[in-house]
Amino acid sequence: MGKEMTLDVLSSIKGAEASQVVDDLFEVIKKGHVSDNLTTNHTDLNAVNIENLRPDEVIKSSELERNLIIENFPNEKNGFLVVPKVIEE
Amino acid sequence: MASAIKALHNKLKNKEISCVALVKEKLDQLKASDYNTANYILDEYALNLAQKVDQKIANGKTIGLLEGIPFGVKDVYLLQGTYSTASSDLLRKYKSPYTATAIQKLLDAGAIPLVKENCDSFGHGSSNENTVFGAAKNALDKTKVAGGSSGGSAVNVAKNFTTFSIGGDTGGSIRQPAGYNNVYGLKPTYGKISRYGLMAYASSTDCVGPIAQSLEDTQIVLNIMSGSDYRDQTSFDSAPVSNESLEKALPKGTKIGYYKNFIESDALNSAIKADFKAMLNKLEAEGMEIIPLDFFDSSILVSTYYALAMAETASNLARLDGTNYGVRTTGKDLKEGYSITRSENFTAETKRRIVGGNQVLSQGHSEEIYNKAQQLRQQISHHFDEDFKKVDVVLSPVTPNPVPQIGNNLKDPMTMYLSDAYTVGFSLGGLPTLTAPLAMETGVQITAAKKQEAILFTCANFLKQVL
Repeated sequence: MGKEMTLDVLSSIKGAEASQVVDDLFEVIKKGHVSDNLTTNHTDLNAVNIENLRPDEVIKSSELERNLIIENFPNEKNGFLVVPKVIEE
Repeated sequence: MASAIKALHNKLKNKEISCVALVKEKLDQLKASDYNTANYILDEYALNLAQKVDQKIANGKTIGLLEGIPFGVKDVYLLQGTYSTASSDLLRKYKSPYTATAIQKLLDAGAIPLVKENCDSFGHGSSNENTVFGAAKNALDKTKVAGGSSGGSAVNVAKNFTTFSIGGDTGGSIRQPAGYNNVYGLKPTYGKISRYGLMAYASSTDCVGPIAQSLEDTQIVLNIMSGSDYRDQTSFDSAPVSNESLEKALPKGTKIGYYKNFIESDALNSAIKADFKAMLNKLEAEGMEIIPLDFFDSSILVSTYYALAMAETASNLARLDGTNYGVRTTGKDLKEGYSITRSENFTAETKRRIVGGNQVLSQGHSEEIYNKAQQLRQQISHHFDEDFKKVDVVLSPVTPNPVPQIGNNLKDPMTMYLSDAYTVGFSLGGLPTLTAPLAMETGVQITAAKKQEAILFTCANFLKQVL
């Protein structure tokens, strides 16, 4: 805890670092003026109101769908799906 | 141009052509093409469906308007059993386990998908050069870009390889390539069409939309795909756009707005500027009321959009780590495996956006960039609400500059981002916006208030007649 995470760790991309062109975009935001009397109208947001969430239910997928999901798995050996080895730090 | 869908429907119905012959002709055109518009051609899939349509006609049964009509699908939509790559190496051999709702509705109506179309990888681009399948080429000039990210879709429609295509628009990805290739492209109101089965780029602005050669075909396809979906809770039910909307005249005195700063900007190409002003003069002469409006600086629009879109794509693409699907490269441990897989199989532009997104979401940056960008977005949205109390539609150029040559965009990302200056604002507002191939080299963009698609069609039809 408390350890600062670098961009390559956050992004899981080797050697990832901030780029000048993206920093230039962000500078515009930092200098941008936000109106003081801004009122939040939640109907403006492209999001679902928590009151309107659909039921949390399991819907079984078709056999074809399940087979395609298995077919997409990157590694299979002797009828088992092979997962990467997890090393705890 | 009249409806190609209706023309083909009549030919099929009257047995002037067979569906198999029609589909085969289009497949042959796609295979012979060097425009790089096709990631995968769905030969067997399409011909199988075409045979069923022919059988139905032979049996004397009535066929629906879209039955047997060939169409294209941007390669970010799932179509069960076919490859869906997002033009990336990571998903080059990923097979869709299910079908996107919008595409399923077209299949249910009998339309026949021919091709998974080239696009910028995960929608990350404005030129269709950010793709592992080779840059798509512009339909009017092969040395120029197709536009992006739905470039392959727009070119296929313009070349008549598909009767219509389904693009995806997050910040302009339908409207801009439509403008670059001289066809119609519609980004509907956010939520009008379900996003289920569309690979997410930036979920809060991602929209499904049609690209077609005529307003009539755009309307037909829009109406078929619209509606609420249990699997996309942001989707809603809406009335179809009526035929009357296309046929009725735009009343004299209609209030047509435009953003002064878009047109007075030094960054706007002089020919586009002159053509836009000439269009306004013509509309005024036709009795329309032209109303200049103030708006946010383009740099604020572009930066707000990219800060939020990068944050959302960093989250959405975090799932692509080679664990459950896609390419997996193993490393000495789990984390290194993720890292190698993602480093080797995302393009440079996709990596730039993921890293930028994680940057704005990280501690210390989220307050001054991400949260502020959200506030700016609300301000932009509020501004639109006020504007559409004063005007019925807003007209604007689609892009500030003419179609660029292939080879320059990826070298200069900032130029690419700024080329979206006139499209991203409307995406942030979730507004319906139509590109019509009229008035300017890259077309005119017609925007209305949320859920007011009908007036876009009335206005575009009017522009088509008077310009």
